[in-house]
Amino acid sequence: MARHAGAAGRKPKNDIMRAMETQHSPHILRLENVTKTYQQGKVEVRAVDDLSLAVDRGDFAALCGPSGSGKTTVLNLIGGLDVPSSGKVWLEGQDLATLSRAKLSAIRRDRIGFVFQAYNLIPVMTAYENAEFVLKLQGAAERHCRDRVMAILKEVGLEGLEHRRPDEMSGGQQQRVAIARAIVTEPAIVLADEPTANVDSVTADALLDLMQALNRHNGVTFLFSTHDQRVMDRAHRLIRLHDGKIDKDEVRN
Amino acid sequence: MKILSIAMRNIVRYWRRTLVTTLAMAFAGFIMILFAALMAGMIQTSERNAVIMDSADVQVHAHGYLDDPDLYKRVDNADALVDVLQRAGFFATQRLYGFGLAAAGSSSAGVRLRGIHLGNEATVTQIHHHVLEGAWLDEGVPHGVVVGKKLARTLGVSPGDEVVIVSQATDGSMANDLYFIRGVLKSVAEDVDRGGFYLLEHTFRQLMVLPEGAHEVAVMRPDRATDLESATAEVAALAPDYETKNWRQLQPVIARILDMADAQIIIMIVITYIAVGTVILNAMLMSVFERIHEFGVMKAIGVTPWQLTVLIYAEMLVQVIIAAVIALLTGWWVADYFQTNGIDLSAIAKGASFGGVAMDPIWRAYVTTEALVTPIVFLFIVAVVAVIYPAIKAALIQPVKAIYFR
Repeated sequence: MARHAGAAGRKPKNDIMRAMETQHSPHILRLENVTKTYQQGKVEVRAVDDLSLAVDRGDFAALCGPSGSGKTTVLNLIGGLDVPSSGKVWLEGQDLATLSRAKLSAIRRDRIGFVFQAYNLIPVMTAYENAEFVLKLQGAAERHCRDRVMAILKEVGLEGLEHRRPDEMSGGQQQRVAIARAIVTEPAIVLADEPTANVDSVTADALLDLMQALNRHNGVTFLFSTHDQRVMDRAHRLIRLHDGKIDKDEVRN
Repeated sequence: MKILSIAMRNIVRYWRRTLVTTLAMAFAGFIMILFAALMAGMIQTSERNAVIMDSADVQVHAHGYLDDPDLYKRVDNADALVDVLQRAGFFATQRLYGFGLAAAGSSSAGVRLRGIHLGNEATVTQIHHHVLEGAWLDEGVPHGVVVGKKLARTLGVSPGDEVVIVSQATDGSMANDLYFIRGVLKSVAEDVDRGGFYLLEHTFRQLMVLPEGAHEVAVMRPDRATDLESATAEVAALAPDYETKNWRQLQPVIARILDMADAQIIIMIVITYIAVGTVILNAMLMSVFERIHEFGVMKAIGVTPWQLTVLIYAEMLVQVIIAAVIALLTGWWVADYFQTNGIDLSAIAKGASFGGVAMDPIWRAYVTTEALVTPIVFLFIVAVVAVIYPAIKAALIQPVKAIYFR
């Protein structure tokens, strides 16, 4: 698979983005002493506890651990969907806490791809439109959108299914659309929360093959949250969480 | 563009809610257009009865006549003044007034004698078209008179019957003569209905021994678009030695009541649309709460709070536009039907009046641009206001809470 050319003129336009792109740090993201607490009734739950972590460009890493260990919370904090109670999250050198709502939206649109366990496609849109949506939000030209989306859908194995709506597709197909949507803008990182949890094992393997290929050939950085052994087996780096802390961080060849 | 396309699809996706909300707005708009047209019709009829049937736009009198309508307080050069006004583009007529006692058989009633210049009067008022029974005055029938509806009933007369008038002439002599009823008027206004006694100008002059002058010069604007105040000022400038007043100054109570009718329309629109606003607010809130998860996902993939606000507003605006078109078309059609055919109230409102001005028993709508546009403008305003809260709610949804919201 060829690395995507990255359509001319589709690079982030604002100064922050340009500044981020000039960063030569190997770390695409960094968490520094991040803590996240929730109030559950009268009880304070510490979902993430003073966690520090760095992920390099091109990583294919997985956060694993039992339920309640804080995997999804860490992904949400990295993706700017949630804010830490304390500590800092940097994405491409940008402190997410300093960004306005609109700028955070722009970061999510341009630099982060999300793959959710429940696919979370927009139900009124076809596969093509779901994949195209973020490009449209970026204001991409019609022709560029069409070329890029068709190429991505072909890459994720959805050629010929462009006009199907989510309710007309299988779980695996929907997750492929979600992956296509996540990578269509060539984000800096794809955050995948239990991407194989709702699909059968054959589909799960196929999806992992796909994501692995995107990582190897296109250099897309993936960070998973999972307790699926298949994902863990393929990850180059396994970060085990327990009670919101890193229990073990192993890099594998 | 994509946001608008999503808005359109959401409208179709939740078609039941769309239908209920749109129809509620359309119904309110329809009712308001019809109400505004009917009120406009009532105002127009009242104004027509007050102005076009009797008073005219502007009146010129000798100073003090309005306070004390004395037979001797006259506009001396009335014919010349009428001439001047007509040359200035106005419609004008001279009128003569006096009081007398009318008797027919064993019945009698006080009347206000009205000497009419037949040719000029027809250019100023439409009273000659307002005859209920018989016919209007005729130069060839000098002793034929036309009386108000209630006066005819009081005297027990109908066309063809004789009536005697007794009064005092300007020379102090007893003025009396025998006339016959030529016509009975439809309802005009309370004073005309009870005491209106119309004679030809020269018949009046003969009876009252009044060879020249007139008590009143009634003036009508060349067209209704001409401003009443400026027309009044122009007439006053042409008749500097006399007192000039327009119908709003002559009949302030009626003018105020008619002005209040406009306010009534606005009040009714506000009350109705508060209810409609609640329906829109409820529908849009439901629509937001139903899609919290979806909005969370949209925010996660980069939709900004502003774009979500635009989405909510686009969904509402499409529905309001559809509702406005339905309301406009149906409201216009039904109002136009009532403009042509009217609502027959003769069984329940016979002889009713509005602000002292007789109401036509057939209540007709009057389709004006204002009656069509005002309810639609209000509909848009109410919808925009009602959606502020749901739109803010959607814009401020926290993605992490929304995504896992089920």
